[in-house]
Amino acid sequence: MNAVQLALVAVLLPVAVALFLLVAAPVRRAGWPAAALSLAGAIGSLIASVWLLWRQTVLPEQALLEEVRWLPEAGSSAATIGVLVDGVSASMLVVVALVATCVQVFSVGYMAHEPKRDFGRYFTWHSLFLFSMQGLVLAPNLLQLFVCWELVGLCSYLLIGFYWQKGSAGKAAVKAFWVTKLADTGLLLGLIVQYAATGSFGWGPETVSTLQAAGAALPAVGLLYFLAVMGKSAQFPLHVWLPDAMEGPTPVSALLHAATMVAAGVYLIVRAYPIFAASEAVMTAFGVVGGFTAVFAACVAVVQTDIKKVLAYSTCSQLGYMVAALGTGSFMAGYLHLTTHAFFKALLFLAAGSAIHAVHSNELKDMGGLARRMPVTGAAFVIGCLALAGVPLLSGFYSKDMVLESLLHAAQEHPVFWFPLVTCTVSAGITAYYMGKAAVLAFFGRASSHAEHAHESGPSMALPLIVLALPAVGAGWMTGVMANLWGVPDVHFAVVHFTPIGIVATTLALGGLAVAWIKHAQGGLGGLDAAFAPLGALARSGIVDRAWDTAWRRGVLVASAGLAWFDRYVVDGLMNFTGVGFLEAGTVVRRMQTGRASDYLWAISLGILLLAVYSQARMWVG
Amino acid sequence: MTLPLTLSVAAILFALGVFGALTRRNAIGVLMSIELMANAVNINLVAFAHYTNGVAGQTFALFAMALTVVEVAVALAIVVLLYRTRRDIQIDLASEMQR
Repeated sequence: MNAVQLALVAVLLPVAVALFLLVAAPVRRAGWPAAALSLAGAIGSLIASVWLLWRQTVLPEQALLEEVRWLPEAGSSAATIGVLVDGVSASMLVVVALVATCVQVFSVGYMAHEPKRDFGRYFTWHSLFLFSMQGLVLAPNLLQLFVCWELVGLCSYLLIGFYWQKGSAGKAAVKAFWVTKLADTGLLLGLIVQYAATGSFGWGPETVSTLQAAGAALPAVGLLYFLAVMGKSAQFPLHVWLPDAMEGPTPVSALLHAATMVAAGVYLIVRAYPIFAASEAVMTAFGVVGGFTAVFAACVAVVQTDIKKVLAYSTCSQLGYMVAALGTGSFMAGYLHLTTHAFFKALLFLAAGSAIHAVHSNELKDMGGLARRMPVTGAAFVIGCLALAGVPLLSGFYSKDMVLESLLHAAQEHPVFWFPLVTCTVSAGITAYYMGKAAVLAFFGRASSHAEHAHESGPSMALPLIVLALPAVGAGWMTGVMANLWGVPDVHFAVVHFTPIGIVATTLALGGLAVAWIKHAQGGLGGLDAAFAPLGALARSGIVDRAWDTAWRRGVLVASAGLAWFDRYVVDGLMNFTGVGFLEAGTVVRRMQTGRASDYLWAISLGILLLAVYSQARMWVG
Repeated sequence: MTLPLTLSVAAILFALGVFGALTRRNAIGVLMSIELMANAVNINLVAFAHYTNGVAGQTFALFAMALTVVEVAVALAIVVLLYRTRRDIQIDLASEMQR
């Protein structure tokens, strides 16, 4: 099969499954057959993706583009739809398919106690999500990307609200949908501006130069797209939906809200990089917003007591790293961090899910001592934790080092990048601390009453952990291969290498882990609690949520009330006035119709008389 | 007899007919007034025919008389029906056309 056919298999197999399950309700409601079909689709997609990646690696072909016309216009078409196969999309395809397959296998065990029809519904949405995400990855233009972007948003809504009987899950789903929808308006407006200025939805060099020639259009388009990225990739202050999204089942959090869907925003930057890279203002915005999100979310993660919330804020923080790195112009650093993060964060979430499944609670205080009772889960969590902390030789070390190095380079040219450099370096230490704390509280120390009878999860949950642990450890060693694949020149890579900034970050990370161990395993450093107290108060106050709430109440509601008044009394008023006026006039005129024949005769006679007088008068006058 | 004189008689007859049709409340009276108007028209037809030495006008007058008879037959039938339903032939009382 050639590359395009492989890509089509990777994207169309899941949608075939999803459509079949949507239509064939009996199969869906039967549960297990639906899961088997969905898994078959995911594995098929994975095989096609891996094959495609292998082809792209051994045969360094140019980008392959296969499009069909869409939205016909006189003579040509306003837009096309198709697949764009190159190193960037091929590697992302594998990341998405691999994580999705692992998550689906994990879900078979994790969701086994759900009623059959819910089980089937769950896997139907998973297939739909896999299709949407693969379509987004392969999109050859921003319009198709936007359609898939909304589709993954829909899947996110459906899967967060999976336990819709719980009020909080429904609310979280709606919140996620509306916050991202607000941000997506930026993407839609940006598309309109771009199409008006260039007549194209692409990101090719001629499109960018036309945009550049159009003056203010380029930064405007870039910033509008960045708004959508902030929503999808949970950048401050639009990150508020991500912690709430943890209401969904844990495997969903692993796939959508850690590894793939939230990375779609960063992927948009990577894909349409020429558009963003051409504008200094946009790149600076990436650096500032990404840098602030990295440190802000990391600080909030420190005081979370729910293991999933810790991971959720950690995801925000790491997405901030990626955005900041892309702001420096280092495509490689941002994209590499996206890739490695997908593996170790999915691993962390699945390990957390396995622990939650065993103790029936999300709270860290209900866990403890799980490593002895659940060795595979414990090992997986620790590996993910060390990779995320950036311990040397694990995947997170290489990508984080590259991010910091790119920030250091950028800071030497543009002083504004000192801000993300400092925040990201500091966050490296904070990240190590909160991850170490979560690992120690959940997997070491004394078991809580909930955790006493915990035992290792079954093979369907343990196997994905082992599979994901491999790239979480080793993905960083492939940096050279990936640089070739993505066509990035001049990446000097060695498995063991230390840059000055890398030494600082690693020291901070090891220090953070050591502090976590001393404080939470040995019970030392009691003074830290006092230091974290204001942070905890800040996090619990939900200040960003409240700000949005106020903005909604004071802004949206008041404006809506004004518009409603205008609609009711001006627009409706005009209509009602016209209607009532005619009705009243009719009532007046109606009285003339007496229904008596003699009255009509009078009218006829008078009319004839008038006509006669009129014609005579004309004769005399004329 | 001169034409203007004949036409004047017809005009007076017609005006009387109109006056009667508008003022009478009795259905039979209204009917009689309408007959007056019809006959004024007939006089006009005959007078013009005589004046122009043609026969067309006189022929039309004959047709018009036949039609008037038919009309009276129908009108009287309506009056009879009106009397049967209302025990009265005052036409002001019949205002069903309002609805």
